[in-house]
Amino acid sequence: MTKPDFSPDHHHINSLIVALLLGAIPHFIYQPFWVGLMFVVMISWRLLHSYRGWPLPAASRWLKVLHNGGAALTIVLIFTQFGLTIGRDSGAALLTIMLAFKVVEIRSLRDYYVSCFLGFFLVITNFFYSESLMMVVLMFAVIILLTSCLVSVNSSHDVQGIKQRLRLALKMVFQAMPVMLFLFLLFPRIPGPIWGLPKDANSAVTTTMTEQITLGEIPSGTGTSGISDSIQMGKISQLILSDETAFRVQFENDTIPPSSQLYWRGPVLWHTDGTVWSPLAPKHVNKQSPQITHSGSQFSYSMTLEPHNKRWLFALDFPTQKPTSFPSYLSSDGRLNSQSKIKNRSQYALSSSTDYRFNAEGDNNLWAALQLPKDKHPQTLALAEKWQQETNNKRDYIDRVLRFFNTQNFVYSLTPPQLSGDIVDMFLFDSREGFCEHYAASFTVLMRAADIPARIVTGYQGGDLNPVDNVLTVRQRDAHAWTEVWLKDQGWIRIDPTSAVSSQRVEQGISGLLPNERNSPRILSQSDALTQLWQHMENNWDAFNNSWDIWVVGYGPQIQKQVLSKLGMNNPDWKKMTIWLASLLLLSGLVMVLASLYRRRDSDPAVALYQTFCRKMAKFGLTKHDYEGPHDFALRAQYALPDYQLQIHQITTLYSHIRYRHEQPLLLEELAQKVKAFRPQK
Amino acid sequence: MPQTQLSAILASINDIILGKNHPIKLALTCLLAKGHLLIEDLPGVGKTTLAHTLASALGLSFQRIQFTSDMLPADIIGVSVYERDSNRFNFHPGPIFTQLILADEVNRASPRTQSALLEAMEEQQVTVEGETYNLSSPFFVVATQNPMNQIGTFPLPESQLDRFLMRIELGYPDAKAERALLLGEDRRSLLQKLEAVISADQLEALQQAAAQVHVSTALVDYVQRILTHTRDSGHYHTGLSPRAGLGLIHAARAWALIENRDHVLPEDIQAVLPSIVAHRLQRRDDDNAKDWVEQLIHQVPIP
Repeated sequence: MTKPDFSPDHHHINSLIVALLLGAIPHFIYQPFWVGLMFVVMISWRLLHSYRGWPLPAASRWLKVLHNGGAALTIVLIFTQFGLTIGRDSGAALLTIMLAFKVVEIRSLRDYYVSCFLGFFLVITNFFYSESLMMVVLMFAVIILLTSCLVSVNSSHDVQGIKQRLRLALKMVFQAMPVMLFLFLLFPRIPGPIWGLPKDANSAVTTTMTEQITLGEIPSGTGTSGISDSIQMGKISQLILSDETAFRVQFENDTIPPSSQLYWRGPVLWHTDGTVWSPLAPKHVNKQSPQITHSGSQFSYSMTLEPHNKRWLFALDFPTQKPTSFPSYLSSDGRLNSQSKIKNRSQYALSSSTDYRFNAEGDNNLWAALQLPKDKHPQTLALAEKWQQETNNKRDYIDRVLRFFNTQNFVYSLTPPQLSGDIVDMFLFDSREGFCEHYAASFTVLMRAADIPARIVTGYQGGDLNPVDNVLTVRQRDAHAWTEVWLKDQGWIRIDPTSAVSSQRVEQGISGLLPNERNSPRILSQSDALTQLWQHMENNWDAFNNSWDIWVVGYGPQIQKQVLSKLGMNNPDWKKMTIWLASLLLLSGLVMVLASLYRRRDSDPAVALYQTFCRKMAKFGLTKHDYEGPHDFALRAQYALPDYQLQIHQITTLYSHIRYRHEQPLLLEELAQKVKAFRPQK
Repeated sequence: MPQTQLSAILASINDIILGKNHPIKLALTCLLAKGHLLIEDLPGVGKTTLAHTLASALGLSFQRIQFTSDMLPADIIGVSVYERDSNRFNFHPGPIFTQLILADEVNRASPRTQSALLEAMEEQQVTVEGETYNLSSPFFVVATQNPMNQIGTFPLPESQLDRFLMRIELGYPDAKAERALLLGEDRRSLLQKLEAVISADQLEALQQAAAQVHVSTALVDYVQRILTHTRDSGHYHTGLSPRAGLGLIHAARAWALIENRDHVLPEDIQAVLPSIVAHRLQRRDDDNAKDWVEQLIHQVPIP
């Protein structure tokens, strides 16, 4: 359709630049700054050419050298920045910059096509970094813009309006939607990647997790709330509350335990050197499974865990059994472990009961629950000695300790003073200001000093329930640590010393301790109705994001099976899916063809007949233009085919009488005969 | 017979104005569609003669007003004068009380005077000192204007341009026609000899006949496509008004009548389209302004 001498003008280039810029903007954030810089410089060169008449590289040899040199410099920069690894970052950076270089040298239609299609690749690279809803919306916009660029260089009238072009592109993208949906739903999902992933494929995940693991290790004295496999008291003087989601829980039948029972069990810490607490070696805890007897009602729920690059899983204290459909096992200390590191968003179903007895018959690891560092915490040990003499039994002793936390002026604080020296002594007798870790650790020391086996359990407490979809979202800021003590005939009992200090922390969750401004913009908190509205919108948005994460981003083999079974496919396997996919694609192709045929065959039978006539004329190189009236065309045709003047005249007159004068069935029959009889020969 | 009358009218006008068949046909179309006509061209190409010839051939009373910058509305509409004999004010009607008025060089007058004329065009009546006077029927305004780039002109605003059904250009005659003009008799004396081909009543009958010409739904589809295109394509500052759409159909009917047809074809629409839309649409980019109406026709497929 395009004229052979066609070359893209600056209108075409400008719309392409807008599309590519929009597609490249996320990379300005993900990539080193010079990637964005190079991109903008190259794009500006092209724009300066369009608006200021600056020369393009093709204009002189020096500019060509500059352009090629820039490309070479890019490759050098990519090697120095990313090394020799060919991975996600270096690949995306290379594509982004080289695309801009290509835009500068667009001259022919072919160059334009290449840039457009590379633009579609650019869209894909963005999803290596984020699969959020916002990204999808942005990339859809880019796809529509790129399609409109392709429309603009292919439309028969080169003076088409931008609105029409966008509308056509939008229409085309929407027509492609069913095919996209079929592919999404039915393309067989394979657990794990098909190809070997580049080394940096999970780098985004690991960086966020290292921040959380350093809970007890950051030398500057700040930490992000979250879970690590060890805790260190006193080093953290400011706990940063992270709003990042740790996991989401959907309870079945919408029966949700009270907030004070929402203890999400994670790693269990046994060993201490006075400051650092760490878990027991796997050989001790993996030998046997815990002995649990449940009573009371059970809660069934499914967990959607965000990747944290560790093996541990979380469960409502205490699960009745390990998840059936997820490769995992329970340690004897009640920790739920995955067989492999959690590198992707994972889902598993569990049921728990909050009323249970745990290893009441005895525990092989009680020795480790009594371990205390030698010659440490003298003041604490002396206090324990004193209370032991004052109390008759272990139960009384525990109550005495809890009363101590409750009645002495201990303060729950997210910004406790930094401690040095003997940290437990310092905390109990001096600073008396801290968060869950401080209380759990010092309580455990006090227990062990009185020969009561005790250990620290880390995990999360509480969560935000979204009333829209009844999904409980547990965030990193809900991270918590509590204590379990072992009493004869009763087994491990959960005791949360933090609740003795600040019962709010446990009953209302961490948000109860925070000023309201954290949850909604300050301006809104002045008006209740607005706050409510804001909360309502936030809840809906969360619910929507949640389903997006689970059903779209997390659409893996498991959910695929689930969805397909719901859609009525029994035992979906990859063969069935492929057959279904192929037949549905074929069907949608067929629908498209039929639809376009139907559109061509206008509802007016006279038009259809006249089009047959026009097709016969087209064989002689006489194409009727869209805008040409029938009589104008007839004049042209009669001039070109003088032998058929009469027939052409008759057909045209009949057609225009039917269409523009009065509709007469008799004329229609006549037209049909005339068109059928019309067989021009050269 | 409408057809014989119409060809006779065209023939007698073509005798006086040579080599301008198409613009003359358009001008007649405009009057048959009961529309006002704007002729825009350089001085001396026969604008005034065309208007005068139209009036004579159609048997209409004719008045001419030469617009100047110091003209007042009263100069067009008329004025009430105190008469001592009768001891009261008497209205002396202005030149506008005629059947065909030639407003020569309408863009030389001040906007105030222009709007007095244009209001009369719209209302078919004038009001002077609380008294309303109906204008004669039929009533046509043929306005001429010089191209905008000449000094001392007040261009008509868009809203008032919309009141003219058509704008036509005459252009220079071709060599053969010009030769005939130079060798032939004086146009003015020819004009005085010209006899009316039809009467004003017959003209009204012709207008009736034009309004009867059939417009099919397929054709309305085509007109709507054109209107939508001007509004949505982004090439024009504002799209065509519904009034322009109506005008397009009225004019196409009249054109079909002149072509001796009882129904309108897309070709009729295309024939009258340039004279109807050219003064109503403003292109956003006028780098190739010459044939843009042609382009507009090419961009809208006939359904």
